[in-house]
Amino acid sequence: MKSADDLFKEFKILSVSEFFKKNADMLGYTGKIRSMTILIHEMVTNALDACEEAGILPEIRVEIDQKGESHYEISVEDNATGIPLKFIPDVFGRMLAGSKAHRNMQSRGQQGIGVSGAVMYSQVTTGQPATIISSTGDEVWKVRMNLDLQKNAGKIIEKTKIENDGWRGTKIIIEAKDVTYNRSRYSPYNYLRMSSIANPHARIEFIEPDGTKIIFPRSSKEVPKPPKIMKLHPKGMTTDDLLVMARNTKTRKLGSFLRTELSRISKKKLDEIERVSGVSMEMNTHRLTWKDAEKIIDAFKKIDFMAPSSEGLIPIGEENIMKGLSLVEPEFSIAVTRSPKTYRGGIPFIVEIGLAYGGKNEAGIDIIRYANRSPLVFDQGGCVINEAVKSIDWRRYGVNPDSTPLTLFVNIVSTHIPYTSAGKQAVAMEEEIYNEIRFGIMDACRGLKRFLSLKRRAYQKKQRKESLMKYAPESSKALSKLTGENPDKVKDLFIKLIEKRYA
Amino acid sequence: MKKVEEKLEELGRKVLEQLEKGRDPYIKITQRSLGNVSYDKDKGFLVIGNKYSKRYYLNIAHTRKFMQTLLVASYCNELIKENKHAGIRELYYALKHTIEGTKKENTFENQDESNPIIEDLELSLNVLREELNLTADRRGYLYGDIVIKDGEDEFNCSKLGRGGWAVPGNVEEIEFKRVNARYILVVETAAMADRLIEEKFAQKNKALIVACQGQAPRGVRRLIKRIHKEKKLPVIVFTDGDPYGWYIYSTIKQGSINLAYLSNRLSVPDSKFVGMTIDDIETYGLENVTEKLKETDLKRIKEELEYPWFKTKEWQRQLKLALKKGVRIEQQALANKSLSFVADKYLPEKIENEIFLS
Repeated sequence: MKSADDLFKEFKILSVSEFFKKNADMLGYTGKIRSMTILIHEMVTNALDACEEAGILPEIRVEIDQKGESHYEISVEDNATGIPLKFIPDVFGRMLAGSKAHRNMQSRGQQGIGVSGAVMYSQVTTGQPATIISSTGDEVWKVRMNLDLQKNAGKIIEKTKIENDGWRGTKIIIEAKDVTYNRSRYSPYNYLRMSSIANPHARIEFIEPDGTKIIFPRSSKEVPKPPKIMKLHPKGMTTDDLLVMARNTKTRKLGSFLRTELSRISKKKLDEIERVSGVSMEMNTHRLTWKDAEKIIDAFKKIDFMAPSSEGLIPIGEENIMKGLSLVEPEFSIAVTRSPKTYRGGIPFIVEIGLAYGGKNEAGIDIIRYANRSPLVFDQGGCVINEAVKSIDWRRYGVNPDSTPLTLFVNIVSTHIPYTSAGKQAVAMEEEIYNEIRFGIMDACRGLKRFLSLKRRAYQKKQRKESLMKYAPESSKALSKLTGENPDKVKDLFIKLIEKRYA
Repeated sequence: MKKVEEKLEELGRKVLEQLEKGRDPYIKITQRSLGNVSYDKDKGFLVIGNKYSKRYYLNIAHTRKFMQTLLVASYCNELIKENKHAGIRELYYALKHTIEGTKKENTFENQDESNPIIEDLELSLNVLREELNLTADRRGYLYGDIVIKDGEDEFNCSKLGRGGWAVPGNVEEIEFKRVNARYILVVETAAMADRLIEEKFAQKNKALIVACQGQAPRGVRRLIKRIHKEKKLPVIVFTDGDPYGWYIYSTIKQGSINLAYLSNRLSVPDSKFVGMTIDDIETYGLENVTEKLKETDLKRIKEELEYPWFKTKEWQRQLKLALKKGVRIEQQALANKSLSFVADKYLPEKIENEIFLS
């Protein structure tokens, strides 16, 4: 018989990294093409965020190279500020490294597992370290690093200093197996195309495994304002959120903690919270129990607060959405940025809609979904955007969902996007979000309808003129024979008549 | 009266004048629809009204027809100048070609497009097809003791064999030298006319047999009208007992809606209808050889019930009876009795006793 000690010798506390190693599918790494696109997604998101936080117009270069059967090398290079050598292991090697998860702020990634997840995937499938080349402007460091899965930390295996010729930025190179490449809807190609549309300020260069070079050009020179960190609104909080914040705060009294760290809480509101919850506002914040926290959250639900500020939300903006959609060279495009709303009583969000008609579009509606500018490529079926699109009576707007060549762009901007899973590819069905998407689409469709009916009229006019012109030569010949008048003169008379009518 | 050539050229000149003034040119076309046709009770036939429509070049719905009208007018003008004649099918082929600058659109896609244009011109210029130097497609034949002079030829229509004399599209120029007959029997189907000829019906009953082979063509109708008028022979019509047969009778008697403007030249208002009638089924015991009326037949009968010239007591009863029984009866169903039944019994009995439907 084994003793408890023996048994517990085997027991190890799973590190975050190890947990994800065992549950890679939670991060979206399922299937060969999906895994490939998720790797690109994590790496490109990291690059775009780095540029944006520094206010730099992004120049992103993505290259995919085939090494063998289901075996590829992927590199992503940006022109951001670069990463000082000592932070490289943290940025690329530690899950939940950034403070993103604890900041109430709009950002592409949220859980802070993104790019380290990619390094982890590479290591787990190939056993190879990742290569990071970065320069903050002075020296260039080339680092080969591993993930220490148990310690949840990056470990530098080898570092080399390289001569710099004025380059600044970061390049990450990884190898991956169990991935593949094609040009389907779920491919890196489509992902980058969608990224370019939502990030018209970025220039993205992409080299496919067969050497084909694709450039998604920059169509706007405006760097988006970096989003601000926002205080949480009481209506958007859970008991757990409150407890975590209470433990980490430096404010001693519960009342002043609530007033300083949450938004929309005045002195008057504090009295109300105390009355409704029965929890003393004078108590020590660090002694807050689950039970009391629960009472306070219940009180939040019963009390009216001013709507949260949407200051922290940075939409792409109508003009830039249209610039982005210019990639499909549409005949007509329209964009709508709705005003901020909240869901679950206090989480602010903005819905943005873009419609692009004609041009390179193929027949039917191509729905391109985004959350905080980041393309959502997979799991369309379970997404609130898809549900909202399905509910639209397209024919009312002169659109045939099967044949009208249309791109429908939907971006949801929020400090907290309610994804259906950690894979972050579908947004959950929240009624307020659903309604806003519908209203936005209907707004944009009204503009499209005006364009389509004008176009139809212009087309009919052109058809009519062509048809009149078509019969002119025959009519002229016959009339000339009948009257003895010069045939060219008669033809000119007919043409003049038609031109006059359609002048 | 203006000469036909002048009328055609005037049509062209008017279009040209409007064009020169920068106006949308039009051609006045007399309407041929039911709305412009009325039944003249005193005359006993259909007459055309004076409603017309304007065919504009710049009206998309008219443009193609406008072009076609000019093509036909110009072609007829040439025929007249060159003193040549053309059949209406020849006209169609002469004018049919691919329209310049199109891939496969023709000036006329089929003869159903050129025929109405000819009728438009006849009516709007008040001229006959023959005067446009056009001849209709020929159909129908005449058998019986009548001597006809056609150009250089003179012949007796009972001496031309069992096929009789094929009636040409234009019968204006022929002369009737001598007639030895009591009446003209107009027969819908060639098969029935052949039966009657074989049974020596013409000889035994002193009848002229005219086979119209379906809806009576113009040549046949004009021939019937001329013999009727010039030789004072009554006209008796024998068709299938169904709405199409009855309309053939109606056309011979009152004229057709389409050619209402020619009624006074083509129709014989005192024509008699001998059969088939729905009553015949019971009278001659033909219950077993009827056929069911189709949906379209029923619709046609309902239309006929509304025509003013069918608004007589007997015809209304007959049409309603057809609707009630839901059956039709063909001429040849009489063969059920015996091949000679129609010639020896049915027709003589009804004609001699004047059992006509009026």
